[in-house]
Amino acid sequence: MSLKRQAGWYKDAIIYQVHVRTFSDSNGDGIGDFQGLAQRLDYVQELGVTAIWLMPFYPSPLRDDGYDISDYRSVHPSYGTLEDFKTFLSVAHDRGIRVVIEMVANHTSDQHPWFLESRSSQSNPRRDWYVWSDTDTRYSGTRIIFLDTEMSNWAWDPISKSYYWHRFFSHQPDLNYDNPAVREEMWNVMKFWLELGVDGFRLDAVPYLIEREGTSCENLPETHDVIRELRKKVDDQFPGAMLLAEANQWPADLRPYFGNGDEFHMAFHFPLMPRMFMGLRLEDRKPITEILQQTPEIPASCQWCLFLRNHDELTLEMVTDIERDYMYDLYASDKTMRLNLGIRRRLAPLLDNDRRRIELMNGMLLSLPGTPIIYYGDEIGMGDNVYLGDRNGVRTPMQWSGGWNGGFSAADPESLYSPAILNPVYGFQAVNVLSQKRSQHSLLSWMKHIIQVRRSSPVFGSGSIEFLYPANHRVLAYVRQSGKETVLVVNNLSSAAQAVELDLRGYKGNILIEMFGRNVFPRIGDLPYLLTMGPYQFYWFKLRRI
Amino acid sequence: MAEETLLTDDFLRQLINVGEVDILVGLRTHNNATTIEPVIRAIQAGILKCFPRERVVIINADGGSQDRTPERIVGASIDDVWSVSKVYALRTLHSISTRYSSSPEPGTALRTILAAAELLRAKACVVISPDSTTIEPDWLQKLVRPIYADNFDLVSPIYRRHKFEGVLMRDLLYPMTRTIYGYGVREPYASEFAISGRLATDFLTKEFWNDERSRAGAEIYLTIAAITGNYRVCQSFLGPKAHSDRGASDLVAAMRRTVGALFSSLDSNFPLWSTIVGSQPVPTLGAQFEVMLEPVRVNRKRLREMFATGVAQLEPVFRSILSVSTLSELQKIAALEVDQFIYPADLWTKTVFEFAASYHKSVISRDHIVQALVPLYRGRTLTLLLENRGSSGEDIERNLESLCGDFERLKPYLLELWADRK
Repeated sequence: MSLKRQAGWYKDAIIYQVHVRTFSDSNGDGIGDFQGLAQRLDYVQELGVTAIWLMPFYPSPLRDDGYDISDYRSVHPSYGTLEDFKTFLSVAHDRGIRVVIEMVANHTSDQHPWFLESRSSQSNPRRDWYVWSDTDTRYSGTRIIFLDTEMSNWAWDPISKSYYWHRFFSHQPDLNYDNPAVREEMWNVMKFWLELGVDGFRLDAVPYLIEREGTSCENLPETHDVIRELRKKVDDQFPGAMLLAEANQWPADLRPYFGNGDEFHMAFHFPLMPRMFMGLRLEDRKPITEILQQTPEIPASCQWCLFLRNHDELTLEMVTDIERDYMYDLYASDKTMRLNLGIRRRLAPLLDNDRRRIELMNGMLLSLPGTPIIYYGDEIGMGDNVYLGDRNGVRTPMQWSGGWNGGFSAADPESLYSPAILNPVYGFQAVNVLSQKRSQHSLLSWMKHIIQVRRSSPVFGSGSIEFLYPANHRVLAYVRQSGKETVLVVNNLSSAAQAVELDLRGYKGNILIEMFGRNVFPRIGDLPYLLTMGPYQFYWFKLRRI
Repeated sequence: MAEETLLTDDFLRQLINVGEVDILVGLRTHNNATTIEPVIRAIQAGILKCFPRERVVIINADGGSQDRTPERIVGASIDDVWSVSKVYALRTLHSISTRYSSSPEPGTALRTILAAAELLRAKACVVISPDSTTIEPDWLQKLVRPIYADNFDLVSPIYRRHKFEGVLMRDLLYPMTRTIYGYGVREPYASEFAISGRLATDFLTKEFWNDERSRAGAEIYLTIAAITGNYRVCQSFLGPKAHSDRGASDLVAAMRRTVGALFSSLDSNFPLWSTIVGSQPVPTLGAQFEVMLEPVRVNRKRLREMFATGVAQLEPVFRSILSVSTLSELQKIAALEVDQFIYPADLWTKTVFEFAASYHKSVISRDHIVQALVPLYRGRTLTLLLENRGSSGEDIERNLESLCGDFERLKPYLLELWADRK
């Protein structure tokens, strides 16, 4: 069954990020697959999320965890078949869950047939599908992104005896978007999946689609032309489908990717995430309010995507040096926890497994303006394994139960794609879905509840935000408003109890109704509204004039 | 609890909003609008540069300014500092102000700041003078870091001064404090200093706060409290100290605040200081400065006249304070012309000790005793000017050490006076 694509569905969505490989193994080969994922959709539905974002599942040499695609129209055999995907999609839609898939548009694997043809000879018809050069000195103003591994954005191809352009690993040649045939083919790929029924795409590495001499080759006007062209086709042929931009940039630099509502529907707000962690540790709202003050207005049809953790490291590219040092010292004192310019840890370990802080961070994630993304396993407080290389430590098997392989797979433990977490604190015997489902007070139950509360009001998805600035800087307070509905959110970022006086005179006469317990708080009058808050406590109040 | 009656409700509300801090910067003000801005900028820059991660609050205790000094402090935006220094603040920096009184009382201002430090559980409390226009951002680090990093409890400043500046400190307060309490703190009455949270808390419980006269000399009591309480004391070289013209003319008031407080402290601490022999150096941090040697113009004739007039007019008073021999020596000196004028160090030492003993016994009003020391101090100042006209920095230090030696050598004389055996 296809879920009707309603315009703007993404604004009220709550997205659950999953890698097929990590979630559930149905055939006992040690690798998660689409059949396993489909079998677990009841769980996803119960959690209350409204969409799933799937990481790359295409055929790939897997030299970059699937972001090196060798076939855009199929499924990696380890994860099943295209039919399995269709079944999964249908089951998800049956449950009202939308599916967003990954589209790695900037580059392919060097094993993709397009590249194999392109490099085969300089006269091949697909030669111009990639960016070739006789020298490695073109576009010299372009930064190298993977500084740890790459010396240049050019790689020598011994077969065709010339250089090809790559912004990421050298085994990921960039497609040439100046070539209309490439743009057409990538649209055909997207159309293929949209016709199957997917609800949207997360477009990877979008700032880098076009190259121009004398520029940084990032965020170029021609790149926006490509995006607008794609968006128009989506709107014309698949209205309601959503495009989500992955562009790790400052908010002001990201703003053009929304265009006039004619480019991306959504974009990740990368700089906010580390500042939420920073604000929590500093016990000071300043980093959070500052970055949101610097965040420009976006068209009404557009939306920010917010997240606490994801499959990558907690990126610290969008912070100052002094902030980065602070984050490293406080969240990654052990250098093995650091990767590139970031911290490769999951939410619970980052927060010392402190339930109050985990709840507060999720409370902010779900109440700040934007569509929240929950990374699989964070809803039960899964841990990580920093001793696995790269970012694999945050991509370990989902922990379903305390049994064999944590309920992830019936395979021999040694044959799993990744070892499960086994330690006494975060291991599957201590942290798993089954045991948490049995407790009303588990993190999982709490997550279900807060998601339910979030979904009970449209203000969180599409409402405006007005920050209150109480003199107590440890308290982050804001009012979300949409139509006649108003919600007051008050977060205590401190590890100690706090008293805070809020200037709510603009809402005089309203009573406050606490949204979790539905208790009534006193009516707002002329005096500052006094609240006392426990450590890391937060309130969501619905304002009602009765 | 002192703070229950000391702090206004409004100030308390502001403190609640600030919450726990690592560092509290205290500014005691009264009509400092003309100098406060560079001071507050330097403090903010020091915080950004040296303590970006720490929780810091600037607290202004104002004694009834009419020139909007508090507004200038509270209104100074750290963003302005950021735009110049490009150093970014991680945290909110609070600047709050309270009017503790409608007239300036530096002791009460200090008490207010310390009470706030105790309430906010500050690890370090640093007090900066609003007149210190020569302040550099790194003063904050020089004062606070020893507490923060090395667990000192009191950091006393050492300024780069002209050789004829700070005479009261060098010729009386330093040698006397060092001799009495056995610890060589160069600026026992400092306008800038830093103290640990635990010393601040302890100091707040002292009895002297309840006496208005004693409160006026709170800084010197603080130094003494740190020494006598076995707290860890150090000194830090800061830099040139701006010379404040305000109040410079009121030598009598300055003597009451400083010398009076020092003399007063001897009463209660007698069991302690009476057993101390000699002195030990205080750990001193940072690069030492050369004293400045530029020639200065001083009206020596006027100084001599003030001394001679004082000795003559206050003779009845001196008879109740000084020994016969000391008074006789002073009268001989008063007869000398400027070129032959000399008030020797040992005689000066005996003079000070006899004043201290008389203060202890309250032979006349204690205020009058201190006031009577003023003309003699002027005579001693004239001697220093004459003796050190061509002196180098090393000569100055040697002479000072010699004076301290006289004080320490003659300490038994003070003990005898105390015991009334002379």
